[in-house]
Amino acid sequence: MIESIQASRCPRCEVVVAPPALYCPWHPVAMTPTTVDPVGDVVTFTTLHSPPEGFRSPLHLAIVELDGGARFVCHGAETRGLRIGSRVAIEAIDDIYYFSYLGTLDRAKLFWRRAGHAGDRVNAIARSLAKRVWKGKGSHRAAS
Amino acid sequence: MDHVFVAGAGMTRIGRRSESLPDLMADAAHVALAAAGIETPEMIVVASMNPEEFTGDGNFASHVASHLGFARVPAIRVETATSSGAAALHAGFAQVAAGLRRNVLVVGGEKMTHISTPRVSEVIGRSIDPTERAYGATMPALAGLIARVMIARQPGSLREMSQVAVKNHANGARNPYAHFQEPVTLEEVNASRMVADPLRLLHCCPISDGAAAVVLTAERARVRVAGIGQGADTLALRHRRVLTSFAATRAAAHAAFAMAGFGPERIDFAELHDAFAPFELISLEDVGLVPPGKAGRATLDGETALDGRLPINPSGGLKARGHPLAATGLAQIVECVWQLTGRAAGRQLQGRRALAQSIGGLATNNWVTVLEAV
Repeated sequence: MIESIQASRCPRCEVVVAPPALYCPWHPVAMTPTTVDPVGDVVTFTTLHSPPEGFRSPLHLAIVELDGGARFVCHGAETRGLRIGSRVAIEAIDDIYYFSYLGTLDRAKLFWRRAGHAGDRVNAIARSLAKRVWKGKGSHRAAS
Repeated sequence: MDHVFVAGAGMTRIGRRSESLPDLMADAAHVALAAAGIETPEMIVVASMNPEEFTGDGNFASHVASHLGFARVPAIRVETATSSGAAALHAGFAQVAAGLRRNVLVVGGEKMTHISTPRVSEVIGRSIDPTERAYGATMPALAGLIARVMIARQPGSLREMSQVAVKNHANGARNPYAHFQEPVTLEEVNASRMVADPLRLLHCCPISDGAAAVVLTAERARVRVAGIGQGADTLALRHRRVLTSFAATRAAAHAAFAMAGFGPERIDFAELHDAFAPFELISLEDVGLVPPGKAGRATLDGETALDGRLPINPSGGLKARGHPLAATGLAQIVECVWQLTGRAAGRQLQGRRALAQSIGGLATNNWVTVLEAV
């Protein structure tokens, strides 16, 4: 799994976008480089059966809300079992990003793996898990 | 600001056409000019989204002007992706409203059925954010992402989307200018090929050729442009917090009604941008014709049918009349003008005020126009 995803933050409204942009979409302000964790919740997804030239059918696409706040477009190997709000990890193959669905076991592994790295990450993940429990299972917090 | 009237309207039959784009535009333009009783307009505003890619023509405003026999009439081209026709209407409106011209010919058209579908998808898809495009996102893909959220929030909305397609095909069957003049059933919609899950082929508008034109005048005519407004939003879909409503339509409607001096409760019927069936449901709520969350119910109850309380897309909409890109925003206006002046044989409505809403790109550049019979 990749360590982080390049992003940028607006110094005025704090919005984070990925990939990084020169200016905030909402303000004529130069953005500050930052990184976000490659883990997030599925906002929405589709499978395209008539992809444009240069892509193979079926093409799985998702918008993922990363834990750092940025919404991110990526591919996936499949969407079976995927739901809005599903927890996914982002992988990179040749600079192309893919989501992979995280089951309970994967999430536990991720938690412990990250726990070995840095204490603040543990806190961040614990906070994120607590927030999910607080909001209740199956709540579509990312649904628009 | 001076009052602006629509003195003439004309369009070609929409569909797979063998004529060249300039020929189609000349056909629509001369019908509109004849209806207005004007031989030579003071100015021409041309709308075409991708003539460079589809037909290989550049300097397109001059090209169309010369082709129409107006080589010495000043012409400009206006482009806001799939809402270019509505943007051209606004450009012409502004000329007349400001007193710069007494009359303006506005003509829009597109010709693309001679190009392969993957190539057409790729060209239209250039209006999408480059990062999203790099991942293969097309217009149907982004519409599929939006439809998924609608269905997750309200599981019955897939049925409502299918009903939009059924209704608009039924209307198109009564419109001799429509691309599709055959009705479809709910079963046919739900059995059609999957395009961008959960959207199927019959939830999506076709690739069409065609042109439409109007003549705007300062001189009083039977239909007045009561209000016209533009709204904008992020190029990237992923930057939007809300996917089931288009801020660009809401802003455009707000501006149009503010100019008109009345609200959506006075509108008798509307042409909405149903490039994908879910967009009609979203747009119905965004322009304020039905309260948030009620568009699906109104559709299933028949309120938006031709014989309903609030007919939506009497022409058949983009779904059945067809979607020749830059012609579409003007074809909506032509339908409204024909309805308001009793020229919509076979699908004639009663009403004095109409609304047209046009979506540019994935709702990055939208327009709302309010027309009133005077």
